Amino acid sequence: MIDKLQTAIEAGQNAGASYIEARGEDGFIEFIKMDDGRINALTQRIERGVAIRVLVDGAWGFVSTGNLADMEQAVVDACSMAKAAAATRREPIELVEIKPHESKLTTNVELDPRHVPIEEKIEYMSKLTKHVQNYDKRITAVTVSIRTSSVTKYLLTSDGTNLQSSGILVWVYPWATGKEGTRLTTARYEEASSKQGWEYMNKFATPEYIGEKVAERVTLQLEGVSPKAGSYPCIFGPRVIGILAHEALGHLSEADLNVNSAFNGKVGEVVAAEGVNMTDDGTLEGLMGTSKFDDEGVPTSRVEIIKDSVLVELLTNREYAQKLGYRPTGSARAESYLYPPIIRMRNTYIEPGDMSDEELFEGIDFGYYCADFRAGQAQMNASFQVGIQEAYEIVNGELGRSLTDMSISGIATDSLFKITGISKENLEWEVGRCGKGQEAFIGSGGPKVRFAKGGITFGGSS
Amino acid sequence: MVSPSEEVARRKKKVDEKQLLDLCKHIISFGKNREADSIEVRAIYESELETVVRMGQVNSVNMTTGTQIAIRLYLGKRMGSAFTNLYTKEAVEEAVEMALAAARATTEDHEWIALPYPSKYAAIDGIWDGSIVSADSAKIVEMTTSLLGEVTKAEPSIIPAFGSSGAGYTYSAYANSNGVEHCERNSAGYTVIQSVAKTETGMTPSVGSYDIQRGLEVDTQSVVRDNVEMIRICMKTANGKTGKYPVIFHPNAYSQLMQFTLVPSISGENVTRGKSKIGDMIGQQIANEFVTIYDDGTDPRGINTSIADDEGVARQKTTIIENGVLRSFIWDTYWANRNGLKSTGNASRNMRQGLVQISPSTAVIEPGTRDVSELIKEIDYGYYIRNVQGAHSSNPESGDFSIVGNPAILIENGEMVGAVQGLMISGNIFDLLKQVKEISSTTRILVSIIGPDIAFDDVNVISKE
Repeated sequence: MIDKLQTAIEAGQNAGASYIEARGEDGFIEFIKMDDGRINALTQRIERGVAIRVLVDGAWGFVSTGNLADMEQAVVDACSMAKAAAATRREPIELVEIKPHESKLTTNVELDPRHVPIEEKIEYMSKLTKHVQNYDKRITAVTVSIRTSSVTKYLLTSDGTNLQSSGILVWVYPWATGKEGTRLTTARYEEASSKQGWEYMNKFATPEYIGEKVAERVTLQLEGVSPKAGSYPCIFGPRVIGILAHEALGHLSEADLNVNSAFNGKVGEVVAAEGVNMTDDGTLEGLMGTSKFDDEGVPTSRVEIIKDSVLVELLTNREYAQKLGYRPTGSARAESYLYPPIIRMRNTYIEPGDMSDEELFEGIDFGYYCADFRAGQAQMNASFQVGIQEAYEIVNGELGRSLTDMSISGIATDSLFKITGISKENLEWEVGRCGKGQEAFIGSGGPKVRFAKGGITFGGSS
Repeated sequence: MVSPSEEVARRKKKVDEKQLLDLCKHIISFGKNREADSIEVRAIYESELETVVRMGQVNSVNMTTGTQIAIRLYLGKRMGSAFTNLYTKEAVEEAVEMALAAARATTEDHEWIALPYPSKYAAIDGIWDGSIVSADSAKIVEMTTSLLGEVTKAEPSIIPAFGSSGAGYTYSAYANSNGVEHCERNSAGYTVIQSVAKTETGMTPSVGSYDIQRGLEVDTQSVVRDNVEMIRICMKTANGKTGKYPVIFHPNAYSQLMQFTLVPSISGENVTRGKSKIGDMIGQQIANEFVTIYDDGTDPRGINTSIADDEGVARQKTTIIENGVLRSFIWDTYWANRNGLKSTGNASRNMRQGLVQISPSTAVIEPGTRDVSELIKEIDYGYYIRNVQGAHSSNPESGDFSIVGNPAILIENGEMVGAVQGLMISGNIFDLLKQVKEISSTTRILVSIIGPDIAFDDVNVISKE
């Protein structure tokens, strides 16, 4: 693979490219889906492919191909395509200079999922299914999906970067349906590791643990009451404040989105209430968004997006770092060789504050506590929406009835100013998958955070 | 430097659908020799050339080409599958061995009956335009710069944040051990823009507009007109009110909502597994009487239209709701067989995961008689929802939703006044179907839906305080 990528670099230099990036992948990937105990998909695949990206006359050309014999032609095509774009540009794209790195990174796992027998994986899924089914007789359908992969990635650039890294993924995703009378509802759960092998499923994400997580959410939905629509004081738990950090401001701190967003031009300005600190960190040990280098060969880093309530830094790649005069933050990520790298979050979180959990709940006569979410989405005008799958009423400072099918929304430029308390206890993380045109595994989290009335709008039928 | 014609020539010389079908037949033969009792293969070759717009300029031209070969086989009633992106005899034979190993390791599916049998295919004109194969980067860059130039000329305040023009085509083949053999080709050319503009207090929501055809003759003018009209409205801001109001949904908005609420309930799998709220309501009134919706995989206007679905079953037109009455669900072969029914040609295969799922082709909603502008004129106070946020966080089984309209336009005294930020809409899809007040005649042809703007009564609206 390295020889072929080196051939691509040389072909690009001969074709006049000012920068050539050749990424290769060689991997074993597995997907298994079980519906109510029936195997619905059991696919193993060997995937090999290359992504070539060139900068010619100040524009990009990108070619993805599975045909490794076509390497030189792919490079020549990419150069031709870049030239066509370059002819229309008002100013050339330039890249911030970086120190090239050479490194061979390996992952030390106890059990490479590739070598774990299929039978063991099916047994894991069967146990999980049974655990969910046995949790409550109202649970009527259970789907379990798992993904594993062992992939070696290569990155060579004309700047001298030469990286090889082996990566692991184990991922489990159960989805359960509950029914009582005419009432039908559903919940999901998700855990994954890119730092441990199948041992993660044996030791942490066990069928019992994962099964209980999803089953209890379904039963809470079945027993929940409809939320009242409107705005109320509320507290978000770590899983929800994490997704809020990701959706409400995280995306708009990605430099490629920021330039067209409601946060454009706000670097250096106060964008949140006093005491709010929000960080994206690609260096935190053991989390899903962590890696040593990004897919442009830039070391990952800790980015203090909001520090002491001021927007201080954006997430960048080499192109936007040069354009905006910022440092490259190691945030360029590509799902696979099928895609070019784009700016993505890694592990995004609200930093702990100075209140106890008990103090957060004090003084809320009526409000909501949101513990877990279904999915979320952000928009350029800072509007965000998150569907909630586990929530409770807060009545006189105490947790009350569970709620069903709640959804929250707000305008980040307003909502961040309505934060009135951040817990100093229990910073927790959750695993997520972000879909900005490509899939990226991310971490998000935080401690419990309180918002005043007017900060968050609750959608509901009551 | 390579010339555009050389670039095109190289794209053209890849495999075609007949070669893919030959490969499928080789895999079937190899699998049977290796003692697979039943085996099916779908192989595709895809080529896509597209521009990427960033900050109002063409940032990149991207090309993705490649083969995908998905194999699914049975040993008795034990299923295994495999995938390879490598178009070589050795790679596909290795993939068959992996699928066999998977089948040996798994458990029996006692409900599995058979792979599809041969069906009669209808001739569908207009799903292939050979000019797509001749598109080169110069052509799609020119399409893009034309779009960018026209849109900023029409409205100088517009910021074309993202956009793309592209030309893509797919050669596909399917064969199985029951004698099904099919191959076809499909093409698409498109141009798309997502714009924003500054407002007094911030930024408008992004407004997306596009046109997609089988060839490169896209209607740039209509894309520009649509985008500019909506951005101009969004540049004015308005305040909303909480309550129950008339709401008109653009098909962009309700198609997303339907995808995550109604569509799961018409899937034969979910009906069988007790996950559909309308699973026992065939023949019953579930929508207002002037609502007729069908799934049509044969309508040449639909970009998802093809001769066969992803398991080689002929596409067809299936009436889902007729005059408000639920008439049918949609099926693939597996779930249809389990219920003693025939597939409706709605199998969709995730090639890399080996997952066959039931999926709509193109939803077609029968139009009414009046233009949407007439419907807007009659609203004293209400909203026009151009797009939504968070449809994917709806409850797919209960049909409950709570989403943000974005852009959400306030209508006052029959006029669109301006965009309301943070306007939520909540309800249940099965209630909403009964709240349809009128279906306009303004049919829009989108990727997954051909439908007009629809007016609803008494929709729950929650305005940000």
